[in-house]
Amino acid sequence: MPVRAAARLRAGARTLAPNAVLLTLSIVMLAALWLTSTVSVAPNRIVPGSAFDVVAAFGVAGALLVSLLLLALAALSLKAERVNYQAMLLLVVLILLLMPFGLMVAGHFLIDPALAQARLGIGAGYWTLLFVLLLCLVELRLRLGLKRLATAALLLGVALVWWLCARLWLDELALVQEFHSRQSAFYAALSQHLVLVASAVGVSLVLGMTLALLMRRFTRVEKVGFALLNFFQTVPSLALFGLLLAPLAWLGANVAFLRDLGVSGIGNTPALIALIAYSLLPIARNTYIALGEVRPDTLEAATAMGMRPAQRFWQVRFPLALPVLLEGVRITTVQAVGLAAVAALIGAGGLGTFIFQGLGQAAMDMVLLGALPIVIMALIMDAGLGALAELTRHGGQA
Amino acid sequence: MIELSRVSKRFGDTTAVDDISLSIPSGKFCALVGTSGCGKSTMLRMINRLIPHSDGQITLDGEPIESFNPVKLRRRIGYVIQSTGLFPHWSVARNIGLVPRLLKWPTEKVNARVEELMGIFGLPVDEFAHKYPHQLSGGQAQRVGVARALAADPDILLMDEPFGALDPLTREKLQDELLRLQAKLHKTVVFVTHDMDEALKLADHLVVMRDGRIVQQGSPLALLQHPEDAFVESMLGGLERGLKQAALTRVKDHMTSLGSAIPAHSRIPGDFTLRQGLSMMMRDHCDRLTVVDASDVPIGELSLRRLIKEAQTERGVHRAG
Repeated sequence: MPVRAAARLRAGARTLAPNAVLLTLSIVMLAALWLTSTVSVAPNRIVPGSAFDVVAAFGVAGALLVSLLLLALAALSLKAERVNYQAMLLLVVLILLLMPFGLMVAGHFLIDPALAQARLGIGAGYWTLLFVLLLCLVELRLRLGLKRLATAALLLGVALVWWLCARLWLDELALVQEFHSRQSAFYAALSQHLVLVASAVGVSLVLGMTLALLMRRFTRVEKVGFALLNFFQTVPSLALFGLLLAPLAWLGANVAFLRDLGVSGIGNTPALIALIAYSLLPIARNTYIALGEVRPDTLEAATAMGMRPAQRFWQVRFPLALPVLLEGVRITTVQAVGLAAVAALIGAGGLGTFIFQGLGQAAMDMVLLGALPIVIMALIMDAGLGALAELTRHGGQA
Repeated sequence: MIELSRVSKRFGDTTAVDDISLSIPSGKFCALVGTSGCGKSTMLRMINRLIPHSDGQITLDGEPIESFNPVKLRRRIGYVIQSTGLFPHWSVARNIGLVPRLLKWPTEKVNARVEELMGIFGLPVDEFAHKYPHQLSGGQAQRVGVARALAADPDILLMDEPFGALDPLTREKLQDELLRLQAKLHKTVVFVTHDMDEALKLADHLVVMRDGRIVQQGSPLALLQHPEDAFVESMLGGLERGLKQAALTRVKDHMTSLGSAIPAHSRIPGDFTLRQGLSMMMRDHCDRLTVVDASDVPIGELSLRRLIKEAQTERGVHRAG
C-alpha cells in the first residue's frame, strides 16, 4: 500500500497544476482587449474623443497578433514549470515592448493628418493590459526567484524604449502633445518633485535613524516616540498641510530668521515638514527593528573580541541592519513620491500641479502628464532601492 | 595565571556568583562544570570584563583586571561561545583575522596568520577563505570560532560551552583537536561546560559549581576518587564513576611484569585507557590481557584480580589516612 501511495505521489508531482494567477491574468487581458475600448480619438484637447476597439486600432492582423500572444501566455500558464515561466517572462516583456508600436499603428489608421489638433487617447483596454502585464511581471519574478536588480533593469529597459518611441514617433498621442506644449514646465515640475522627495527622505533618514537609536537606548523615548509617529501617520495628508498653514504663516511673518529661510504658510516649507512627518515613521520603525534583529551574541562576540563601541556599531551592527533599514527607505521613498503630488495644492509645485490643473480644466491628458511620471518614478525607486537592499545582504544569506 | 579571590556577582537581589576563590596557573586547562544557571558562564564573562564583578578581586598575572583598559584586555583574551558569534556578513578569512586587524598588524602578517590558523584547523584556504558562516557546518563554524579566538596568540582562552551545539561525533573530534592543540600551545584555558565527560576528558583542573558557589575543585582523578558529596558524585555519573575513572588512566600504569604463566591471548597497547582494557576483558571473556608496546612486543600484563587488589589496598590506605 505505501508503495502505491508513494508512486501516486510521484505521478502527482509530474503532472503540474496550472498557475492560476497567470491564467486568470491572461484571461482578464484578453477580455479587456476585446470588450473595452483600446484607443480614443479627439479632434482637439477639450472635446471628449470617440472610442475605438482593438480591430479598429490595430487592424485585423494586429488584433490577432496581440490575441495570439495573450493566448500563448494563457497556454504556457497551464503548466507550472520553470521553462514555461521563462517563456512567459519573454512574452510579457515582448508585449510591453510592442505596446508603443501598437499606438503608432493606431495613430496611422485613425488620425487624419489634415487635422493638426487631432490627438490619440489611450483607452481602458490598453491601460488594463499595461497594468495587468506589470502584475504578471511581479508574479513571474517571484516564481523565477529573479533578483530585484534584474527586475529593475528590465523595467528600466522597457521604460527607455517607451520613452524613445514617445520622443521619436508618437506625436499624435495626446499625452505627448500635452508634454510638448508644457515641456519646460514639465521639467521644472519634475525637478521640484524630485528635490522635494529627496530632501524629505534625506532629512527623515537622519532624524529617523537618530530617533531609532535613541529609542533603542532609552525605553521611555521608545513609547513617546512611536506614539507621536503613529499619530502623524493617522492624520490625512491634506489635513496636515492645512494644520501647518496657520502656525507656519505666523512664524514666517514674525520671525525674521525663518522668513529669510523662506518659511511661510504655503509653498515648500509646509510641504517638506509634512512629508518628513510621514516619512519618519517607516524609517524610524524599520531602523528600530533592523537594529533589534542583529543577534545579541554576535554583538557580544564583537565586544569580547575587543571592538570599541564605535567599531562594533559601524562594522557589525549597522551593516547587519542595513538591508532592513533600506527596506524602510524604499517604503518611505515610494510613499513620498506619491504624497508630494498632494503638496502641489499648497503651492509647493511638483508634478501634482498638472494633476490638479488638469482636473480643474477637465483635461484628462494633462492629469496623466502629472500622474504617469509619478507612477513610473515610484516603480523605478521601488525596484532600485529593493535591489540595493538585496545587494547589501552579504554572503547571500536570506 | 588567573586568580579570583572572594569574587561575587549580584544582579539586583539575586546572587549569581557567591564568594568564589579560584586560581588557575598559566598553561593549565580549567573546566567549570555545573547545572545551568549555576553561575559558571557569569564567572567566565567577568574575567574579560563583559560583566563587571560586584565584590572581590580578579587578577591576571598579579594585576587586577580593572587596571587594564577593557578593550585592550579583551584583545589579549581569546573568547569562544556556543553559537560561535561569527559575523554573518564577513567571510571566514575576515572573521579569523578580526583581532589582529584590531591590533593593527600589517596586512601581510594578518593574511599569513589567517592561513596558518586555517591550516591548523584543517580548513583548506582555497575552499573556505571566502565562504560565509552560514555556508559552514556546525563543526566547521566552531573551528573558525576557535581560530578567531587564537588569531592574535592570546595567553588566555575563555570558552563558553563551545561544543555544546554539535553532534556527538563532531564534538568528540573537536575535543581531540583541542587536546592536541593545548599540548602544543599551553594556553591558560577556562572552559565552561555542563557535560562532565567533556570536562573529565579535557581538564587539568576541575571545578564543580552549584548555585553560584564552588562545591569541589581538584584534578579530575582526585574528584573521581573522593567526591565531596552526593551532588558531586551524581555529577560524576554515580555508578558509572568507576569506569570514568578508569578512562582517565593508562593501561601501562597498572600493568605488572610478565610472569611465568602462559601469556594471555588478547593484546592491548599500553597507551590505551584502563576503561578500554576492561571493555576488552568483557568482550573476550577473560580476566588477563597482554600489554604490548607500539611495535606489538609484549611488555607486561593487565590482570583484573590484581587491579581489584590494588584498588582495595589503596582504599585501605585512604581509610587509615
